[in-house]
Amino acid sequence: MVAALIVCFVSCSHQDSEEIAGEANAGFFAMNTYISMTAYGDQADSVLEEAESRMKELEALWSVTEENSDIYAVNHSNGSPVTVSDETAEILSFALEMAAETNGALDPTIYPLVSAWGFTTEEHHIPSDDKIQEMLSLVGYEKIRLDENQVQLPPNMMLDLGALGKGYAGDTVIQLLKDRGILSALVDLGGNIQTIGMRPDGMPWRLGLQDPFGGENLGVLSVSDCAVVTSGNYENYFIGEDGKTYGHIIDPVTGYPVESDLASVTVIAAEGKLCDALSTSLFVMGQDRAVNFWRQRQDFEMILVTSTGEISVTEGIADQFSPADNEEVDVIYR
Amino acid sequence: MNAKKLTQLAMLTGIALIIFVLELQIPNPFPIPGIKLGLANIITVYAVYHYRPREVMIVVFARIFLAALFSGNMMALAYSFTGSMLCLGGMLPLRKIIDENHLWIASVIGAVLHNIGQISVAILLTGAPGLIAYLPFLLVSGCFAGAFTGVCAQIITERVRYHFVQNSVPEQTVRK
Amino acid sequence: MKKNQLWLGVCVVILCLGILGGLWVMRVQSDPSVRIVQNGAVLYRFDLSSAEDQTFTVEYEGRSNIIQIEDGAIRVLEADCPDQTCVHMGWLDSAAPIVCLPNRLVIEFDNASDETDAVIE
Repeated sequence: MVAALIVCFVSCSHQDSEEIAGEANAGFFAMNTYISMTAYGDQADSVLEEAESRMKELEALWSVTEENSDIYAVNHSNGSPVTVSDETAEILSFALEMAAETNGALDPTIYPLVSAWGFTTEEHHIPSDDKIQEMLSLVGYEKIRLDENQVQLPPNMMLDLGALGKGYAGDTVIQLLKDRGILSALVDLGGNIQTIGMRPDGMPWRLGLQDPFGGENLGVLSVSDCAVVTSGNYENYFIGEDGKTYGHIIDPVTGYPVESDLASVTVIAAEGKLCDALSTSLFVMGQDRAVNFWRQRQDFEMILVTSTGEISVTEGIADQFSPADNEEVDVIYR
Repeated sequence: MNAKKLTQLAMLTGIALIIFVLELQIPNPFPIPGIKLGLANIITVYAVYHYRPREVMIVVFARIFLAALFSGNMMALAYSFTGSMLCLGGMLPLRKIIDENHLWIASVIGAVLHNIGQISVAILLTGAPGLIAYLPFLLVSGCFAGAFTGVCAQIITERVRYHFVQNSVPEQTVRK
Repeated sequence: MKKNQLWLGVCVVILCLGILGGLWVMRVQSDPSVRIVQNGAVLYRFDLSSAEDQTFTVEYEGRSNIIQIEDGAIRVLEADCPDQTCVHMGWLDSAAPIVCLPNRLVIEFDNASDETDAVIE
């Protein structure tokens, strides 16, 4: 009878919570956003704690505003070379590579321009043409010298790895989790999603795609073992005194916010840093160039939403996306 | 416009302003954005039934602007302006349909429209369509506040008519 | 006379719609997914069933709102705004969002997100 009671007690306490055995959750603010991680496995709790500290370490290295960060040192070096950590050298090297591959659509030196528009301080205003030309002379990834761990930047130029930081940090965390034996996890870095394996019940992770025009989700993307990132002006914009909408994604060539035929670009790939790098650059490129770019590569899929609300999906993930309200979705073929 | 009319409009504006400022002193027990008595609208309703549309708009918009200035809350202008536009958009036509003896009904419609205008602005500014959840509450409060201010305006109308019959005849005579 | 009655009827209908709508909105909800929206942009999303107790600050034009999550519920703890309506709204428990109009802040349940594991934004 005692045995029966014990069995009851044990099974009752298991039924009570929605938690599945070995589920761990962590949530904290870092990199200017809220990061929420869920992992399943032995010791998932302590692994997530480790992941949290690792993220905060990377944030300290790459923050533009923290005085002790590598980036701060480079931005205030006045032209002299600065030695940075391995992680910073790696992410910078990746940034330069992607800048070249996207023909400058992604440019890590765009910070002074973004600042001029007020997106860094939330004090938005339209800079004068002269100011924009002045800032444009400070933009240009080709002017960065990277030699092993030494970075040299011409005076007054500024680096900002914000466009890649979350994705790169996300990859680091995912690798850490995998190294510690975690087989199922979801990391949400302020809307950048990275996953390991599938949900514990064997189904793929269900990710809602934000409608750039506000309101409910556009649809659900079912994924496993990959990263998904979205970019769009709708995330941060202001309406100028002239009534026009100015988004936070600036075209490095013109100095003005991108006036794209796209409302949002969602990139799905194995690694977060690639997703991050591509989602912004594809947005800058616009629909046609973006589709061409995709056709020349094999390493990512994408979902495009045009400014008129049309949704297109590349054929590689067409089966994994189910639009809300059974809306029509165009498929982009190779 | 003659001096006498101008003086009348100025007085109405002034009275509405005073009522508005006094109402600010009354604490609002409901934690719902946009719920208030709107007593200054007693003047608005009265004006709709006794003055030409252009004149009504002068009184209303002057009061709104000055009220925003005096209460130090210029942001509120977006809400009260839109609310009042919708309100007048409904009440001015209604004046021809609902007679002076039942103007409190027009006041209810005006108040409801005013609240609809305000919540629309709130949704636009915050970017959160979920705020529409407050519409039912604002409809109810619009009905009650509108009825109350409407009845007050009704009473005033009757008193004024009794004492000052000649001066309160509107320039547009009531048509059948 | 008839016209007056018609419009009186309209008022009654509006009142009834308002009361019924209000009752419907007031039904107590406790979805796990909430989102915090400011000025049209979703700032944060939380899964209240797994979020830790915490407080954090959100700013707008230099004015702040302090938001608290405790025991799976969320509210505005303190606010830098003239009317304090958002604070008086208490814990989020129905379809009626917590609003701070001066600071353009809205905290609401996000039913669509209940079916998904996360939202890409």
